Amino acid sequence: MEVSSLPISASQRGKLISAGYTSLSSLSSVSSSDLARGAHNAWDMLHEEESMTRITTSCADLDNILGGGINCKEVTEIGGVPGIGKTQLGIQLAVNVQIPLEFDTEGSFMVERALQIAEACVEDMSEYNRFLRNDFQACQVKMQPTDILENIFYFRVCSYTEQIALINYLDKFMSEHKDVKIVIIDSITFHFRQDFDDMALRTRVLSGLALKLMKLAKDFSLAVVLLNQVTTKYTGGSFQLTLALGDSWSHSCTNRVILYWNGNERYAYIDKSPSLRSASASYSVTHRGIRNSTSNVKRVKMM
Amino acid sequence: MLTTGEFEDGDDDVGQSCALFTLETLASTPEGLAAFAEQQPTSERLKEGITQVLNIIDNLHQPWLNGLELLEDSLQNKHVLSTGFEGVDLLLQGGLREGQLTELVGPSSSGKTQFCLQTAANVAVKNMGYVAYLDTGNSFSPQRIAHFVGQISESAFNQTKQKIIQKAMSSILCHSVFDIFSMFDVLRQLEFDLRSQMDRGEYRVPLLIVDSISSLISPVLGGSGSQGIDP
Repeated sequence: MEVSSLPISASQRGKLISAGYTSLSSLSSVSSSDLARGAHNAWDMLHEEESMTRITTSCADLDNILGGGINCKEVTEIGGVPGIGKTQLGIQLAVNVQIPLEFDTEGSFMVERALQIAEACVEDMSEYNRFLRNDFQACQVKMQPTDILENIFYFRVCSYTEQIALINYLDKFMSEHKDVKIVIIDSITFHFRQDFDDMALRTRVLSGLALKLMKLAKDFSLAVVLLNQVTTKYTGGSFQLTLALGDSWSHSCTNRVILYWNGNERYAYIDKSPSLRSASASYSVTHRGIRNSTSNVKRVKMM
Repeated sequence: MLTTGEFEDGDDDVGQSCALFTLETLASTPEGLAAFAEQQPTSERLKEGITQVLNIIDNLHQPWLNGLELLEDSLQNKHVLSTGFEGVDLLLQGGLREGQLTELVGPSSSGKTQFCLQTAANVAVKNMGYVAYLDTGNSFSPQRIAHFVGQISESAFNQTKQKIIQKAMSSILCHSVFDIFSMFDVLRQLEFDLRSQMDRGEYRVPLLIVDSISSLISPVLGGSGSQGIDP
């Protein structure tokens, strides 16, 4: 039975539905005090989680270690050395989800590349369709690459104040565009590295941004992907490569994936996650986008 | 200063006489007050009024307890919650103690969230009551909780195990808070609920977890001093 057909006042109905209770069965397991405060118990959340979609990266091995793909309602940080494929992964995710939202702070988003990946995606989809239907007639693929591009909302950010303003504006934007499923920021660190003298201010601003993004992810069921750069850190007597923005920022995201080179291969490593095991997998960047690596060596390593 | 509305009979005389005394006087010399009251014409009602006022003051603060009473309270009321980690329980001499605030500190990915999830699962399975979990980073993983509960519950049969998992997970209440004011709201509501159900004793929340408090405080107070050098 639907909540919408319950004999209660319209405003109460609206409140229940906007809190996510659309059927009577979802209401029956919640106690009255929970309803009043919007708490969820772990049992309900488990069932919600099972029905949540994940966004594929187009690389099966990468999807495997991610538990199916990038998770919605979470903020995932992806970092790596320049040239490892962060932006490529960002564009791939933007194409794989129907309605993504992309922020570009570095100017590295290339429309032509997005079109290239979108075309490859459409071709793959039609091939998959044919495989499913098992017939030899050409199937009509409804999505055209240009449609995919149309659904990518692109914002170019030129300073850290613009970045803050844009993230504050996102709340309003999301309520107007309810079908946005992913927000990609490439990269979160760019405007906070140069000419930022006041470190204390930087910590406060960044942690405030992180919380706002968390709230957006939760409220609108979005996947938020933050691409980060690397820096060197002097620990234990040697210089090590680590993600930029320091220790305090490292606590801010739900998940963290580090991209690195291993010989000639590109690898991704799950560095932080509340539910995924530590593992690494290899991937490659092709003209069609992010794909499985073609080497014969065993690729996925569980730690 | 107390208003005359505090008194049951609302007698002006009592009210007026009492208005002459400041709280300081009342607190410091109740005997002197009693002696003074004896001399007044309306002494009976005055004495009543004074007793009422002193009761109100007493209720505003916790009663004084002596060492023996504290020990009894600690043994009977302040239970120790096992975390489910043997080593940590050993360090904490039994586990997390009710009435105490325990801070868990560590670098990123050191296992703080996993510790919180496991402890929540343990307390929930051992039927010690509800667990309130405040999550600031969307890190609450029902999947992990289910895994921990499954590990802890000793029953071998699949059906009863499912029931145990359901019962335990239904007593872990997760709130997502993204700023310090929402956290205060949640805590205030929790306090209200606990006070109003104190007599019935069915609604017990022996464990409150906040993961993590620093992400709520950083935007407000963070970054000063020690954060200066490390970018």
